[in-house]
Amino acid sequence: MEQRNMVFLLALFITLFLGSTIFLLGDFLNGQREKRIDDLSSEMYANLNEMQTFMLMSEIYGDGMACLAFKSKLQALDKSVWDLGIKIDQYRIASEEFQKDPFYLGQKNAFNEKEVFYLMLLSKIKKHCKYDQAIISFFYRNSEDCKKCDDQSFVLTDLKKDAEKEMSIFSFDADLGLNTIKLLTEYYGIDTYPCIVVNDQKYCGMQDKNFIIEKLCETNHLSFCPEKEENMTIS
Amino acid sequence: MNVLYNAVVYLVWFFSTFFVVLISLVMVFNRNKLYEKKKPLDSFPLVSVIVPAYNEEHKIAETIASLKDVTYPNIEFIVVNDGSRDGTSAVVTNSIGTDPRFRFIDRKVNKGKAASLNEGISIAKGAYVACMDADSSVEPDIFHKTLPYFDRETIGAVTVSVELKNPKSILHKIIDIEYIIGLSLFLKLFSVYDCIFVTPGPFSVYRKTMLDEIGGFDITNITEDHEIAYRIHKAGYAIVNCFEAKVYTICPETFKGIYVQRRRWYSGAIHTLLQHRDVLFNNKLGVFGYFAPYNYLLVSTGLGLFYASTYLAISRTIENLWYYSYTNFNFFDHLLEFQFDILQYGRIYLIGLCAFLFTLFLMVAGLRLTGKQFASKKVGMLGFPYMFFLYQIFWSGALYAVLRRKHVRWR
Repeated sequence: MEQRNMVFLLALFITLFLGSTIFLLGDFLNGQREKRIDDLSSEMYANLNEMQTFMLMSEIYGDGMACLAFKSKLQALDKSVWDLGIKIDQYRIASEEFQKDPFYLGQKNAFNEKEVFYLMLLSKIKKHCKYDQAIISFFYRNSEDCKKCDDQSFVLTDLKKDAEKEMSIFSFDADLGLNTIKLLTEYYGIDTYPCIVVNDQKYCGMQDKNFIIEKLCETNHLSFCPEKEENMTIS
Repeated sequence: MNVLYNAVVYLVWFFSTFFVVLISLVMVFNRNKLYEKKKPLDSFPLVSVIVPAYNEEHKIAETIASLKDVTYPNIEFIVVNDGSRDGTSAVVTNSIGTDPRFRFIDRKVNKGKAASLNEGISIAKGAYVACMDADSSVEPDIFHKTLPYFDRETIGAVTVSVELKNPKSILHKIIDIEYIIGLSLFLKLFSVYDCIFVTPGPFSVYRKTMLDEIGGFDITNITEDHEIAYRIHKAGYAIVNCFEAKVYTICPETFKGIYVQRRRWYSGAIHTLLQHRDVLFNNKLGVFGYFAPYNYLLVSTGLGLFYASTYLAISRTIENLWYYSYTNFNFFDHLLEFQFDILQYGRIYLIGLCAFLFTLFLMVAGLRLTGKQFASKKVGMLGFPYMFFLYQIFWSGALYAVLRRKHVRWR
């Protein structure tokens, strides 16, 4: 074979080899991402199981002991839920290049189910133990049907950074069609998206950060809330 | 949009990677030919050097000084003033002095570079004709290096390595690297498969009989040095590159000047391709027949990627501005909270990394083969990857000019 043709063929072979290497490396990274999601899910499920155990303990031994245990576990659980939600979104974007990855759809379903469970648990604990933990539930649809849902998600992510330990934010994808989420939307009467529920009060439509802070501070004493006038004394 | 965008990224990656791998293999397989020592000249046929000049009063004195230092013994210089409106004529007269090797055609009417070159060719007596820009300088032994390359009757032209003269600004330092890769390394490697597509205007040597046969330069083309390369190939001649011979040239000072220059180059290249479309996929021309279509495939997919990336970048920026408008524009809080997680990056980033490594490889290879010091080129090396964005802007301007049938002048 003429050297020139050989060089062309070799170049094609090397290019295809490099392409395959990138493809396989991408596959390896996909595997690592799925493993990481699985690890985070396991961590979250373990935390939830523990909380459930505390709940049973409070029914048997009384609220005093269980509330102490809840308080110590709440932050870890909250963080694991938040981290998992973010990682599922980030890794899904990194993995999906040409088609939707069923792994992330499955994870999203399972995550939303567990979120509902955690929301119920937290609401109950909050009542039992009189915690000043702010709770926001965020109901959204995919961004093609709900242009403002991404905006609302950004605002809530930003808000969470300001008061990570004092606030729990739950995000529910209405497009998943989960029965538990359907029940919640029916309970709150949600028919437009985005919609947030701040301490049991529904606010549908896009809400900016200042508005949400204002609503949170009406019922919670969070670190970023302004001092209330009634606390000031005039001599 | 994302699916389409990803598809374009993969396409551009494939075509550009194949090109770089091919170039690298040619470099490896022909490493001995890069500095091939040609048999020194045993006779010194007459050489004519033609220097067309238009408004070059500030630069031509240096050009003539470099020509006066040329050591080749049998040479004539023909300077053609192309109707300059400045003091070029006086500067040329003073610079030439009484040197009998020079002839000066002081034309008062501006006819364009190609017409000036043809005028010089018509009175040239040499067996070889060198065409040189009036803002460039050559090494004294340039003809001792280049003429031995005409060792076969089928060699129609010899090109040399083009380098930038004293690059000072950041943009010039980047273009310096571009010239080292594109107009030195690549031209040498392209010559291995006889697909040099340009005989650079700063300095190229032609066989006089060939120039007469093909009718000199095309006066209707604004990139006459590119167009003539097509006709040289079509006439059955080869263009080779003498890597070790160098010409030092300048480029416009401002970005606008560079944009105008590139728009001329690239729109001229499009016109030339349309003018010589019989070259496309022409088996008789060997690799050259496939080189142009492949080159334009790279350009068009690159442009597609650029437009898609620009659209995404703008829409993402607007989206982010909206986001931040809801959170009192707290950009810095987010910047400070950035956490690196390699798993966030998919295959598209690996492709980008691969392309970046190839660019780095080309820069290193270009600098090593031309014997440059890395330390003196670090600014240019850092900036060169951004040149790919500038190419798209230049090509877009050229495409617009061609589509609108805008008249792009040589100056």
